[in-house]
This record gives sequence, C-alpha cells and structure tokens, in this order.
Amino acid sequence: MSDIVEKTLTALPGLFLQNQPGGGPAAAKASFSSRLGSLVRGITALTSKHEEEKLIQQELSSLKATVSAPATTLKMMKECMVRLIYCEMLGYDASFGYIHAIKLAQQGNLLEKRVGYLAVSLFLHESHELLLLLVNTVVKDLQSTNLVEVCMALTVVSQIFPREMIPAVLPLIEDKLQHSKEIIRRKAVLALYKFHLIAPNQVQHIHIKFRKALCDRDVGVMAASLHIYLRMIKENSSGYKDLTGSFVTILKQVVGGKLPVDFNYHILLQVLQKYILLLYLTMILTISAIFIFLSLAILFECVHTVYSIYPKSELLEKAAKCIGKFVLSPKINLKYLGLKALTYVIQQDPTLALQHQMTIIECLDHPDPIIKRETLELLYRITNAQNVTVIVQKMLEYLHQSKEEYVIVNLVGKIADVLVLNTVDTYAPDNAWFIQTMNAVFSVGGDVMHPDIPNNFLRLLAEGFDDETEDQQLRLYAVQSYLTLLDMENVFYPQRFLQVMSWVLGEYSYLLDKETPAEVIAKLYKLLMNDSVSSETKTWLIAAVTKLTPQAHSSDTVERLIHEFTISLDTCMRQHAFELKHLHENVELMKSLLPVDRSCEDLAVDASLSFLDGFVAEGLSQGAAPYKPHHQRQEEKLSQEKGNFSWICVKLESYFITQVLSLVPISFPDPHPALTLHPLKGPSICCFPLCVHVFSSCSSHFYVRACNIWFSVPALIC
Amino acid sequence: MIKFFLMVNKQGQTRLSKYYEHVDINKRTLLETEVIKSCLSRSNEQCSFIEYKDFKLIYRQYAALFIVVGVNDTENEMAIYEFIHNFVEVLDEYFSRVSELDVSFFNTVFHGTWQAHSSPYQVLVLALEDDPTSV
Repeated sequence: MSDIVEKTLTALPGLFLQNQPGGGPAAAKASFSSRLGSLVRGITALTSKHEEEKLIQQELSSLKATVSAPATTLKMMKECMVRLIYCEMLGYDASFGYIHAIKLAQQGNLLEKRVGYLAVSLFLHESHELLLLLVNTVVKDLQSTNLVEVCMALTVVSQIFPREMIPAVLPLIEDKLQHSKEIIRRKAVLALYKFHLIAPNQVQHIHIKFRKALCDRDVGVMAASLHIYLRMIKENSSGYKDLTGSFVTILKQVVGGKLPVDFNYHILLQVLQKYILLLYLTMILTISAIFIFLSLAILFECVHTVYSIYPKSELLEKAAKCIGKFVLSPKINLKYLGLKALTYVIQQDPTLALQHQMTIIECLDHPDPIIKRETLELLYRITNAQNVTVIVQKMLEYLHQSKEEYVIVNLVGKIADVLVLNTVDTYAPDNAWFIQTMNAVFSVGGDVMHPDIPNNFLRLLAEGFDDETEDQQLRLYAVQSYLTLLDMENVFYPQRFLQVMSWVLGEYSYLLDKETPAEVIAKLYKLLMNDSVSSETKTWLIAAVTKLTPQAHSSDTVERLIHEFTISLDTCMRQHAFELKHLHENVELMKSLLPVDRSCEDLAVDASLSFLDGFVAEGLSQGAAPYKPHHQRQEEKLSQEKGNFSWICVKLESYFITQVLSLVPISFPDPHPALTLHPLKGPSICCFPLCVHVFSSCSSHFYVRACNIWFSVPALIC
Repeated sequence: MIKFFLMVNKQGQTRLSKYYEHVDINKRTLLETEVIKSCLSRSNEQCSFIEYKDFKLIYRQYAALFIVVGVNDTENEMAIYEFIHNFVEVLDEYFSRVSELDVSFFNTVFHGTWQAHSSPYQVLVLALEDDPTSV
C-alpha cells in the first residue's frame, strides 16, 4: 500500500503544474473550471432564501442549455455535473441531468467516468427507471483491465444496484473475489454484502467464498466479510458456531497489537454477542485483555458481550466496574452510554441498579432531556408493583412537557403497557389511581396513541379481575370520574378519550345510585350537539344513549335527540336515530335487546336468517314470485327500456319489502303515494340484507330523489 | 445502519449530504433544517446523541460546522461518534487544515473519502486519482 502512496505523492506536483491556467485555450478552460467556485461564492454571499432560489434557478437553466447542447465536450459535461450535484444537494431538482450523468459514466475517460459514476450514485436510487441504462456500462467496466475502473464499477454496484440486475453481474463479482489487489477483493465483498441484504437467496451458493474472505491476509477484506457474517449470524446463530475459533483468533490478534488499532472491530464483538454458549476459556482471555484498551466504544461493546454470553463471575465483576465508571463519569456522553448499558443489564442483574440508584435518581432530573429519556427507559424495565406509582408519575411529567409526536406515542405506549399489561392484569395498586392515570394518558395522547390501547383498557374493564366487587368498584369509579370530567366547561378532550368515556358510561351507568340515567343521557346529548366532536365519536355517543334509554323511563332528551338526528345529513347517524326511535316505542323489546352488563357475552348470529322462513312461506303462498338472484335481475333490467319512469317507480316499490324488520320506516314528506312501504305490494320478495342495504342507501337517495334526480336510484339498487 | 451523513453549518447551509436510503429531494431540505435546529438548540454540556423521530442523530461540532450522522437503533453511538472524528482527521491530513469552504469546493473528494473510510492510506490513494484542481 505504501509504495502506491509514494508514487502518487511524487506525481502530484506534476499534476498540479499541468493545470496552471495559461494562454488562450487554457484560459477558457480555467474560466469554465472556476464556475463551481463562483457559484459557491455566490450562494454563500447571499442572505435570503429567495435570492438563493433565483440564483440557483438561473444556474439550472444555463446548465440545462449546456448539457443538451451537442457541442458540449465531455470535460465541460463533467464540470456541469459537479454543479448539478451541488444544486441537488441544496434541494433543487435537477432531473434533466440524470441521463447525461449516465452518458458521462459510459463515455468519459477516467476522471470523467469518476464524476459520472459519482453523479449517478447520488442522483439515482434503486427503483429508478434510468438504472437499466447503466447495467451495460457497469458490466464493461467490471471486465476492464484498468483497476480504477473496476473499483468504480464495484462501488456503484454496492450503492444503488437493483435486485433484478444482480444475475447480470454476479459471476463477474465472484471472480473479483480472487483478484490479486486487495482493494478490489474488498470492494467485491462489500458488493456481495449489499446483494445479501437485498436478495439473500441469490448469494447463498457462495458462502464458502465468504469464509475465504474471512481468512484473507488483508485486514480490509476481513473487515468487510465481517459485515456479511454479522447479518447471517443474526438470522441463524447456530449454523456458524464453528467459526467461533476464527473470530477469537482475530480478537487475539487485535489485542496482541498485530492488527492496526484504528480497525473498526466493534463489529467483531457484535458478532460474538450473538453466541450464548461457547468456549469461554478463550473468550475470557481475550476480553479481559481488551478491557485495558482506551477506546470507549469498544468497552461498551465488551460489556454488552459479557452479559450476553455464558456468565462467568470475574468477567461480570469487571463489566460491572466498567459500567460504574461510565455512569459516574462527569462526561455526559459516557453517562449516556452507562445508562444504556444498565438498560441491557438490568434484567439479568438488578443489584447493579441498586448500587447506582443515587446516580439514576439524579439523572431523572438532569437538564438534558435525552439523559432523562434514557433514565425513563431504564426505569420502565424495572417497573414492578412496588415502584409503579413513582415511575409512572415521572413518565407523566415528562409526557406533559414534551411536544414531539414520536415521544408522546412512545411514552404513552410504555405507560399503557405498564398499567394495562395485555388485558390480563395491571400493576396499579388501587382503582382510583389507575383510573386517574389512564385519564391523564388519554387526555394527553388520545389521538396519537395506538388503537390497541383504548381497546385493551375497555376489555380490562369489561372482563375485570376475579373479584366481582372490585370490578364493580372500578367501573363505578370510572363512571364517576368521567361524569366529573364531562361537567367541566370549555375543555376539549381527544376523540378517542370521548369514545372510551361514552362506552363506559353507556355500559356501566347502571351502577350509579346518585345520578339517574336521564342525567347521564342529558350530558351525552350535550356532547352530541357539540360541533368539535367527530362523526365517529357521535356514533359511539348515540350507541351509549341507546343503551341507557331502557333504563331511563321517560326522557324528553331522548325525544329531542331522535328528532334532531332523524333529519341529520349523516346517513350513519340517521340510521342509528331511526333504530332508536323504533326501539323506543317498545320498551320491553329494548330491555331484552340491550341487557345490562352483558358486553362480554358472545352473540350467536344466524346467517341463514331462518327466523324469516315463516314470513317468506306466507308471501309465496299468497302469490309472490320467488327470489331472483342478482344476475338474473340485471339481465331482465338490461332487456327492458330504460326511459320508463313510472315503471321504475313500480320496480322501486317492489324492492321495498323492508317491513321484515320494523326498524325501518320511511315517513318522508313525499307526495308520491306509491313510494310508501308495504309488504307484499310488489310482485317479488327480496332478501333481508338487501333491504336493509336499500334502506341505508335509500335515505340518502330519497333525498336525492326529492331533488328530482331519478336515474341514480335504480342504478344503486340493482 | 447509517441513514444519512450531513455536514451543515450554523446558518443551516448544507455543505455535504449523503443519503443511504432514498429520501425525496423536497423532503431532504426539510429534514436538514429540522436536524440542524435540534443540534443548535443543544448546549455544550448536553450529550451528542439526540433522539429524533424514530432514529438517532449523532453530531459533532467543529467550529461552525456540524457533522451529523443519522442512525437506527442497532448502531453503537459511541462508535459512530469516534468514526466522525476519524473522518475529520483523514480530511485534515489530506487538505492540511481542512476548512468549511473546502467542503463545498471539493465535494467530489469528500464523497471519495466516504467511500473508503476504513483506512487513511486507502483514502489518499482513491482521492488522488481524482484531481480536484481540475474541477
């Protein structure tokens, strides 16, 4: 390696002398070559974004003209490419230049090819259409005798090559693995690593060659092959146990100083972490030696390794001392590392946390938010029934302070995890605290939290714990707290929170003894009339009111609600309102339909609708035609005339056999008498689901019809 | 896995950017401004590892230039921190006291340095193949 450096260093003054700007032709070249310089100087001199934009757009338009002009030499093209790279880096689209970059890589001589390849790797990405054009160039360069060209081609392959083109270059790259120059071998290994990342099945047959690369005499090649091994071992650690010996030898070489110190061998340690059981005698020797090294990153990795492998007490002691030094260090980066190491270690060795608990408590109140967050992460892992209140308190404080969505989602997830624990149990010590904390969590994180969290919470309330009285207490407390929250004026809650509240109030208000259901309904009604509530939440609210109505004996709030929502523009709300209206007329039916506290029971659904058989038989015996399936009706419809309005009227009528379930009255202020529902009026009988579907589309379509737009209606029904 | 490597100055001007995952051009400038804003708001006593959205930023300040590397969870932050310093040392050797403007003028060289970061000798070889003064 060093002789190449010497040669190039001696050649350097010569290169510089060649490019001294001189007379005529050289002057043009010089003025051209300082274009980038002037551009950069121009940009740095400007202060406003607007001026910068103007300048760049000017530059881009002149570049566009230059690159498309046929008279542009490749040298000028190279210069333009550099400026295009600069403009794209600043964020301005320069896509007109992509094809020229590819051409430059194809046609240029060495230096121009270099810039061309660089531009291509910066402009394009793996799924770009223009990459197809590059394949031939890459293949040609891989086969060339010029080492530098081969290097460049290999670099581009490892950066942006798409999966589909791997077979085209794979055999060439495999050949390069045995090349005499180590830099090419190294680049070939890196390219194969990239292939392994994007298409592992295509490189499976060359694992043997990877092993050869691992034992290569050049350090760089070995380092590159470690990347591949790290990946493969992560997927399947037992398959590579026999390589432990070679990894340990490498480690020993590092420790013994035979390999250069700036060699990035923390990957090696990561590789070793994947092994749980191995020959720990050799491991001990090497790792204890590594502890004397100065590099802190390596120390951190060692600590992590020690805890992952088969435990050996002296190593553990050393590692614990190391973590101690990290955590107590005044340098903040090291403190962060120490906390992170503790997080890894804490499940295996909780005593270590006890040793450093003063420092941990100090870190909780540290001015740096990152340290605070890392400490919270650590505390989250050691949460148990005893310390949960304190830890959740701290998390809530942090939650209230932070504004970033990711942080909120993360923390909310953690708190919910600790409290609701997969619907089975909770660490919470008592009901009041649990409900209050969940309220706080919902009000802060309501709209950004994962939908599983409110679902799990509701399921926890519904299924409860083993003790029935405890459950009732919990539910009662929840209902009371939600009523208090709803009483507060001018407070806006997130939609999910409102949905949770409405469900709980609907299900469990019967437990209240002081407030009557009518009062609860009044509160829910007030929410329903509030504009800031979304339509999804409104459906939850009206469902809750429906559940409560049989318990409230007579309530004009319900009457008002029905009146309000039967003429609503939202079809969903309308349907609910009509259902409520009809159920309301028959209180006994309602009570049996919506029993109290039966949310956990399964509903048996009769999919064949056998309860309608009697009705259908009656209809058939009175002369109604049997059911015609959809395609038959379509054919009949197509064979008839379409312009017959009154006939359509009759046909519409025949489909309205929706009186099967008396939930769906249509009492529209409609002058046309035929459009009222009446069973058996038409010649055929339709199936129940179709009718309900017809109704729900009908309610908007009658409205449409009221505006005299006829054609949409039959199209939707048929 | 490294997601991106940025060199941004205190005024928010990007001197060098290299993305390892495809990010749309218009999103890049937004990302860069947000990243530099979070780096600028840190003081000297705060640690160099920031959590930003769902990945981490590791930054180092050299005079008026910030070098920021975005990584995902699997990386050892200290290793990246030391790597940034290694990178700057290599550049220093090549340019003999590299400065911010050098980055803009010789950005092809910088990309070359990035590609061969494992050893300083290899970097010098590759960089010298591409004569920056002809640019």
